[in-house]
Amino acid sequence: MKEWVLEPETEYRFELDPGTSLAIKVRSPTPSELTPQLAHGQAEVFGAELAEGKTYLFGTECRAAVFTWQGCTLEISATPSSLLTTCHITGRPSTEYVSEETPMAAYANVHIAFEQMRVRALRIVHGSPASDDDANANAEPPRVLVLGPENSGKTTVCKILTNYTVRAGQNWSPVLVNVDPSEGGWAVPGAISAAPIRSPIATASPANPLGSAVTSAPTALSSNALIPLSYWYGHSETKRNPVLLDRLIRNLGENIRERDDDDPEARVSGLIVDTPSSFASSSGSAPDNRHTLIKACVDAFRINVILVVGHEKLTVEMQRLFGNRFTVVKIPKSGGVVELDHSYRERVRKYQLHTYMYGQKIDPPPGIASAIVGGEAVADLVLSPSSCVLKFEDLAIYRIGAENMAPSSALPIGAARMLSEMQPVLVDPASSSSGLLNSILALLAPFNPDESERYDEEILDLSVVGFLVVTSIDAPNRKMTILAPNQGSLAGKTALLGSFDWQE
Amino acid sequence: MYSQPHINRPSPPAPVYFVDPNSFRRDYAARLAELTINSRPIIQTLSMIAQEYSKWAEIVAQCLEAHIRRVPPWIKLPGFYLLDAISKNVYDPYTRHFAPFVIGLFLETYQQVDQATRSKMEEMLLTWRTASPTGKELFGVIPQLAIERGIWGGDSNPTGATSGQISRAQVLSELEFTLSQKERALQSNAWDTTAQRHVQILQQLRKLVEAGVSQDELRQILTQLRSLSQTPQLAAAAPPPPPTTSYQYQAQPAYPRQATQSAFPPPVSQHSPSTTYASYALPSINQPKSEPVDSASLLSSVKSTGVPPTDIAGLYSALLKAGIVAGTGTPVGAGATATSEDTVASSTSSENLSRDAARAYRKSVLTQNIRLTNADITRKRPNIDRLLYDRLPVQCKQCGIRFSDDTLGKKEMEDHLDMHFRQNRKANQSLGRGHSRSWFVDLDDWVHEGRVDVKGKGRADGPRPTTNKAALVVDAARRDAELRTQFVVVPSGDEAKSLSCPICKENLKTEFLEDDEEWVWKNAVRKDDKIYHATCYAEAMSSKHTLASRLRQDTTSRSRSGTPDACRATPPKGNPSVRSSQSRSPDSKRATLKRKASIDDFSRSSVKMESNGTPPMKKMALAA
Repeated sequence: MKEWVLEPETEYRFELDPGTSLAIKVRSPTPSELTPQLAHGQAEVFGAELAEGKTYLFGTECRAAVFTWQGCTLEISATPSSLLTTCHITGRPSTEYVSEETPMAAYANVHIAFEQMRVRALRIVHGSPASDDDANANAEPPRVLVLGPENSGKTTVCKILTNYTVRAGQNWSPVLVNVDPSEGGWAVPGAISAAPIRSPIATASPANPLGSAVTSAPTALSSNALIPLSYWYGHSETKRNPVLLDRLIRNLGENIRERDDDDPEARVSGLIVDTPSSFASSSGSAPDNRHTLIKACVDAFRINVILVVGHEKLTVEMQRLFGNRFTVVKIPKSGGVVELDHSYRERVRKYQLHTYMYGQKIDPPPGIASAIVGGEAVADLVLSPSSCVLKFEDLAIYRIGAENMAPSSALPIGAARMLSEMQPVLVDPASSSSGLLNSILALLAPFNPDESERYDEEILDLSVVGFLVVTSIDAPNRKMTILAPNQGSLAGKTALLGSFDWQE
Repeated sequence: MYSQPHINRPSPPAPVYFVDPNSFRRDYAARLAELTINSRPIIQTLSMIAQEYSKWAEIVAQCLEAHIRRVPPWIKLPGFYLLDAISKNVYDPYTRHFAPFVIGLFLETYQQVDQATRSKMEEMLLTWRTASPTGKELFGVIPQLAIERGIWGGDSNPTGATSGQISRAQVLSELEFTLSQKERALQSNAWDTTAQRHVQILQQLRKLVEAGVSQDELRQILTQLRSLSQTPQLAAAAPPPPPTTSYQYQAQPAYPRQATQSAFPPPVSQHSPSTTYASYALPSINQPKSEPVDSASLLSSVKSTGVPPTDIAGLYSALLKAGIVAGTGTPVGAGATATSEDTVASSTSSENLSRDAARAYRKSVLTQNIRLTNADITRKRPNIDRLLYDRLPVQCKQCGIRFSDDTLGKKEMEDHLDMHFRQNRKANQSLGRGHSRSWFVDLDDWVHEGRVDVKGKGRADGPRPTTNKAALVVDAARRDAELRTQFVVVPSGDEAKSLSCPICKENLKTEFLEDDEEWVWKNAVRKDDKIYHATCYAEAMSSKHTLASRLRQDTTSRSRSGTPDACRATPPKGNPSVRSSQSRSPDSKRATLKRKASIDDFSRSSVKMESNGTPPMKKMALAA
């Protein structure tokens, strides 16, 4: 065990290797220190405050930082890299250091500016008289699009801003939106989703960076029982089918808008949108695609602030595009962000799927008595999915668009391919080339029960109710085995295939 | 890590944490030492720990007894409140561990403390009469009687029919107790005229007793009082067999809950008789509405004039004659007006409070001169620690969420702690049962969440299932716990026989129910002359409905042959969506539920067992 004393406005950063875990405890002051001046022991992980004296566990290659505004003392213990939990050697994170240069002050300023927008918007809703200082200020709540290149800490910025918002004690419930299909938010990679947040999002593992979707287990934090609205895109790359992503983004936006109309008080909390790095990268995808998708977000979520994390050129580009309509601000990038390689992202994807089905289990380092993982007691985090045999005809499985599409640019000039990109194609499980085995399926909500309300591409607009994995196919008997998240009957009979596989 | 088989039974939650009983003892004793004031958060925390570590109930009991014995008289009461909280909220195994010393400890303490504390202890003692999960004496009838006798002397047999002197003090303290119950009922429903009338009568009675009445009258009053406070329990336990669940007793508020605004008790100094025992016992959602049953005995007698002169009505009419009570029939109305005005006033004031708080917050945020420009953001010093920390000095020790220290913040903190308490209890009850990821809600529910939701009910307060479906999922664990409380009485003579559940082949556990003085099989249900584990049976019934069979039904035919071979049987656990026919009547069931709507929805769509044990093939709850 090791103690770190953090000066005000510094952070302790750590990176974990696979199979290791880390326990962090903010030390309570000893009785002799119990004078009001010394009782500070305040620390937060990405905006979520740690309770003093509680032990927090981190695992599955978590890379995070404990920041303090006023200074604190941390007790840190860690397990070594080993798959055997019986190991007794005390190890340490692969990287750990204290940084004095953090962008937290800037993030806090951004938060305060957003709070000003919120309180003004709430004043309008309450119909209270305006005070002099804000008479002609913008009274719209902050609806923020966070853009940035790869490894710039976009998701972390979103999380910090969201956490500060719910910590204000004003009953804010901002909607956090994730349109980065490679991350998946509360669902699994391949999905884009939105969820209202009411309590701080704890950090424990990269498997659920934004909190956790609801399970049957009781939870202490509502951010571990989120109710997301999810759409299935099915691929990690936005360039794979931008037309489809555009449509799903607009679906998400439309439903958030309807929700806001329903509850004007909740609306003033605003929303924060996390985006894929491909929105920012000038290389690779054609700028047209990027701009189309960014515009889709701006329209769909009625964005009125764009934050660009540490990318001057992109800031200028966005200012040129949107500067006359709303604010575009560049915010600094944290020096703590780690370059994540492809294989790390692949492993995180696996962790996410595993966590969706089996929950989260982080073995505490030896000698740690009681600990909290992501705000919850450890015992509640193990989930049991259920395996089931289905007849082929019990589940209609579609793929959106042809499996291997030539890029649009390869088409003859003037030829449109809208139809085939958005075309649902029925997948035959009996066919050996179906690619179904080990693939992830998004189970869709049922079609509109009212036949007259049906339309051709309705399947594109159905939200996801859950995810399944095809674990075996028995073609002669026309049966397949699937892994479902729970033992309840399937909540739908239509599923979409993407390009994600998962094998345990 | 990824090599687990598909069917994954969760390994029983690893007993991490305090692996070592000695360190647990040290820690618990140290925490107890902090219990020097009547602090709800401390009591709640200690009680939660006790719940979490019920395997070391003995240690907790020893620490607590030692603590109460050791501390000076003016700090003893909080210790008793903790004992009371643990006993009522966790019950088993704690009451068993407390029972051996509770008599001595109570009486000894009673001798040492001042009058104000004594009356608090009496109040607590009276709640113990019916605080067990079955509505009986918390520590059993013998300790209860022994303590009551030790305090009031004589025979305080609840039948009240026997000889022995009844002291005025005893009658008064019971009167106070009943009165506070009624007042609370009135608080939760200001329009309840029955409760209003009861409160009035009881207040008159108190004056009367204080002024001095005869032994006979005392006895009559006592008898009436007891029937008054007992009826609700009897009624609740009426449907046979008594389906006693741990939820039932929650529904009985144990203590006078203070007016909403001041429910967070100020730290009690040893001589402060004005402090009311804060109801940390349970959340307000479980507060019963006024019971219609008890009105039968009292109200009818008040209303009608032809009642025997021996009951309260007799006393009441005597009071009437004596001119103590205004006989015009208006007092009730007057009371009603006053009360409802009070309620309106208090609700608007709470709204005002939150508006004021919002205004104050707006001011403090707007005074910060920050604009959304690159320059402002990078150059200014944020005043953030004031906004996030200093302004919110009260912090939840469990999860670190902060609240302001004004009335509103205290209220929110209290709700927040209640939430933790409920959540911990649920977690304990469903321990080892396994959980699973829920389906996401459908679009309509997501979009209209705000409409269903009760706005402004505290932030950050755990899972607030905002749709019927989400509520269903959250309730699943609770239903499971309910199943486990079912039991079958062992036929006499069969006590020694071992019996195994036909489904899981494991032995059924027998247990002696002290309250009923009967041996029973726990977690058991009888179907077709066979005894099953209630949980196994429910599971078996529900697994017939797993997706394969249901889908086939939906897509192909409506045949009833739910061939289970298609479904690789999932291990028997965890899906408690079957409600046994043994469960309570819908009414009492509803009373225990947080959200009426959710259970209505559930019982409508859930699979109900028929008496022959063959469930009808219906869509399951989550199917819609």
